[in-house]
Amino acid sequence: MTRKKINLAYIANDSARKATFKKRKKGLLKKMSELSTLCAVQTCAIIYSPYDPEPEVWPSPLGVQSVIARFKSMPEAEQSRKMVNQESFLGQRIIKSEEQLKKQQIENREREMTQVMYRSLVGDQGVQNMGVADLNDLEWLVDKSVEEIDERIKSLREQIVPPPQVMTAGMSNSHVNSTDGGKYGTEATKNRAETEMDAYTPNQQSSMNQKVGFGLRNEDMAVYQNPQWLEELLRSNDQNMGGQLGKNEDIPFAFNGNNSSLWSFP
Amino acid sequence: MGRQKIPIAKIPKKNHLQVTFSKRRSGLFKKASELCTLCGVEIAILVFSPAEKVFSFGHPDVESILDRYLTRNHLPAPDQSGAQQLVDAHRNANVRDLNARLTQVLNQLEAEKKLGESLHQMRKASQKQFWWEAPINELGLHELEQLKVSMEELKKNVAKQTNKISSIAGASSTLYSSPALYGVNQYDHIGGSAGFFESKPTGFVNNIASTSTMPNHHVYNLGYGHGLF
Repeated sequence: MTRKKINLAYIANDSARKATFKKRKKGLLKKMSELSTLCAVQTCAIIYSPYDPEPEVWPSPLGVQSVIARFKSMPEAEQSRKMVNQESFLGQRIIKSEEQLKKQQIENREREMTQVMYRSLVGDQGVQNMGVADLNDLEWLVDKSVEEIDERIKSLREQIVPPPQVMTAGMSNSHVNSTDGGKYGTEATKNRAETEMDAYTPNQQSSMNQKVGFGLRNEDMAVYQNPQWLEELLRSNDQNMGGQLGKNEDIPFAFNGNNSSLWSFP
Repeated sequence: MGRQKIPIAKIPKKNHLQVTFSKRRSGLFKKASELCTLCGVEIAILVFSPAEKVFSFGHPDVESILDRYLTRNHLPAPDQSGAQQLVDAHRNANVRDLNARLTQVLNQLEAEKKLGESLHQMRKASQKQFWWEAPINELGLHELEQLKVSMEELKKNVAKQTNKISSIAGASSTLYSSPALYGVNQYDHIGGSAGFFESKPTGFVNNIASTSTMPNHHVYNLGYGHGLF
């Protein structure tokens, strides 16, 4: 099979047209035969062509007679219900294809806008250049995303047992090193439900606890058991600010035009 | 596409049979329609369904072909009537137009599908680079909270920009037909300032569920100048 893209129009070239007719007619009749057999249904075809004064019929003159007779025996309404000709058939195809096209356009539009949205998060200057229609769409998409994020946050929080203070208590008393981190992790998994709030001392330890608290709310238990993560986190805490894991600092929303990188820090 | 090789014998499962019938019947009519268009032949096809309904395709129409066949008058009725000629000519012109329109739509559809595929690839590539582009369902709580902050900041900026434009434009509506971003232009079914999405909010594909995995430990490599991954 050549798989050439066909131009849906009458083939002007006589020999090409005749060749196409032979091939396609053969294919059509084969498809009819398959349909009949696979689905155990009666079918027939009558083809008038300029190449033959007699019509070509399938499956056979008798077969055709029988199918036509069955057809004619049906009430008129039933005969015409699913009857189509070129015009109506093409009309149906056009409508179906237009619907698919619209769907695909909408999908593509959302994909594009999603990209724009993510680029804009990182400080891409796109927003300055967008027209109102696009801005509206972007806003819609951002709203939708925030909604989804909220829902997801909510569902995650519901899954998580009330803050495992036992962890923070443990942390505040031990030196931070990888082995402790590891131990810490396993203890966490065992003692989640327990509360030892009494042991918790807010003051100097608060920042560290807060940081740990953050990490603990992550749903992925594997993280807890990873001492390296903890070590790195706490080490970086020491290096930078003794202060909190500022939420806002993690994604400095670089929209002032100076900062184009998400991760640029002073 | 299926492309399974099946034996040519009655399909055992009823559902399968029904589905196959639908698809193949549709494909059969499509082939018949193409044959008529390409080769200028006249044809009638009758197909009974498993449910004993009947589908038929005919060009110029089923009835006339059946009559012609049954009366064994294999010569087309002599075109005496001018009216008949007019009808035929009109119908042929219609069919030509329909075929042209169909071709146009199919081409557009193919182009959009290609665009969709490349957008999809781009998104996949981005997701490997930027954790915040991962599907929301795959982000950890901490990440989500950060992302939300950024999103709300973005929303503020968008609103600011929108207001800015609105106040410049005043009441003028001509400024609202600004070109869409990234060459996404021809949406003639969408009103200008209403935006593409808002008029058809139900049409969206929720792209959120994807298969990319974001190892959660990445979140703890954030910031502090450590750089991303």
